[in-house]
Amino acid sequence: MRAVYGIVAREFIRVARPFVWLIFAGAGFGAVFTGAGEIDYRRYMAPGLLGMVVMFGSLLAALSTVTDRDAGVLRMVLVAPIRRSTIALGKAAGAMGLGMAQALVVGVILLPLLRLWPGAPGLLLALAAIAVSSLALGALGLVLAASMRSIENFAGVMNFVVFPMLFLSGALYPVRRLDPALQALVYVNPLAYAVDLLKHALLAGWAAAGYGGELPVLLDFVALAAFAVVGLAGAAPLLAREGGVARAAFRERG
Amino acid sequence: MTGAAIAARGLGKDFGSIRALDALDLEVREGEFFGFLGPNGAGKTTTVHILATLLAPSRGAARVAGHDIVREDLQVRRRIGLVFQETTLDRDLTVAENLRFAARLWDIPGRLAGPRIEHLLRQFGLLERRGDPVRTLSGGMRRALDIARGILHEPRVLFLDEPTAGLDPRARRGLWEVVRGLRQSLGFTVFLTTHYVEEAEPCDRVAVLDRGRLVALGTPAELKRQAAVSSLEEVFLARTGRPLVEAGPG
Repeated sequence: MRAVYGIVAREFIRVARPFVWLIFAGAGFGAVFTGAGEIDYRRYMAPGLLGMVVMFGSLLAALSTVTDRDAGVLRMVLVAPIRRSTIALGKAAGAMGLGMAQALVVGVILLPLLRLWPGAPGLLLALAAIAVSSLALGALGLVLAASMRSIENFAGVMNFVVFPMLFLSGALYPVRRLDPALQALVYVNPLAYAVDLLKHALLAGWAAAGYGGELPVLLDFVALAAFAVVGLAGAAPLLAREGGVARAAFRERG
Repeated sequence: MTGAAIAARGLGKDFGSIRALDALDLEVREGEFFGFLGPNGAGKTTTVHILATLLAPSRGAARVAGHDIVREDLQVRRRIGLVFQETTLDRDLTVAENLRFAARLWDIPGRLAGPRIEHLLRQFGLLERRGDPVRTLSGGMRRALDIARGILHEPRVLFLDEPTAGLDPRARRGLWEVVRGLRQSLGFTVFLTTHYVEEAEPCDRVAVLDRGRLVALGTPAELKRQAAVSSLEEVFLARTGRPLVEAGPG
């Protein structure tokens, strides 16, 4: 029984992570935000939190490709009569599914909790946003995974990819207040488009006050689709770099 | 069906400034049990990876199972099986799940895959372990499962890259018995790389590779006769001036 409890608890902790952010970051940033007064900061965070869940879910799922390579499973896949692009698509679709599933679970709890009712069009847009951003972030995770040698680089990915993406996404504060140099980085951040799209979906009611989505919806979709396509196209040849094994043997000899 | 299972012309591979494989000319006949003998670093795995389309050659060309390894890589991969030096099984999946995963990758319809998996598991003595995660299997069983996975799609050419590395003598013998039985029943070509002379001994023909170059090719008896020696080990010594297995790391 204890084991069952332990396993269930662990699963809950995964889903609970965004709520921990909601409580602590929400309280901290909320205090700074109260001056504005137009929107409850916790509601403002909702799109960002969902974006975060999508990112952790799909990006980290895609990163599991590194483990596949380590364990040798990737080689079994590489010697199968399928194209490299098929492998990339399969891995990204799997990551997309995991990202979406987690975002949906969190969304179902988060929205009632914050009494955030975006209406049917908003919910549909949110679903579409979650789907396309899961794929884009999964594809990006795949490129990262395919260019990494071992999972030891994981901390580097967290520090130099995941956290900068999070802080430059508009998940925690509006990015229009950032200085121009940082704002340029926002435009190459897929999570920023994901969060912006989710703001369009969930915070439409506060758009007039300046807390809704800032970029055109179409641009968000096009950008995310472009990240997905470029990511998949980039990951495919990287996945096939299996020469690494033979090469390593010769490096020792030479 | 006659013809060459593998035909290589001037096949070579460089890694930076290191010439891993010089210019290999090789023909392996359909149904042959072909041994590729050489010390570590001779270029055996590089050759296998090139022939299996996992690695692009730097020069030369080759056809495997009748298809060009560069232009028709998918057709080649459809017709070959490859058992890597290190296991490629998913340790978290069960024995049967690993084979079902492979069946999907090789696009084998479920109604065919089911009986075939069952048959292979029985042949390899893994039927009772079918529901167990691979991580609970012994090294010999994992190797057997690797080979079962390699022939699930009934390839015409099976590459075995140092298949017995790290196995105890008993597991080694068991493995060879299964492979012999499979060759008799299915008649595929086997391309075996090894640095154990005793494993090259039963081969129909043996190619001896050293530092990316072919130094001898023939039946084990021919090779020994030509070099006027009594073992393949001495053939290697006679051809290269060095022992096949070096005493320490060189």
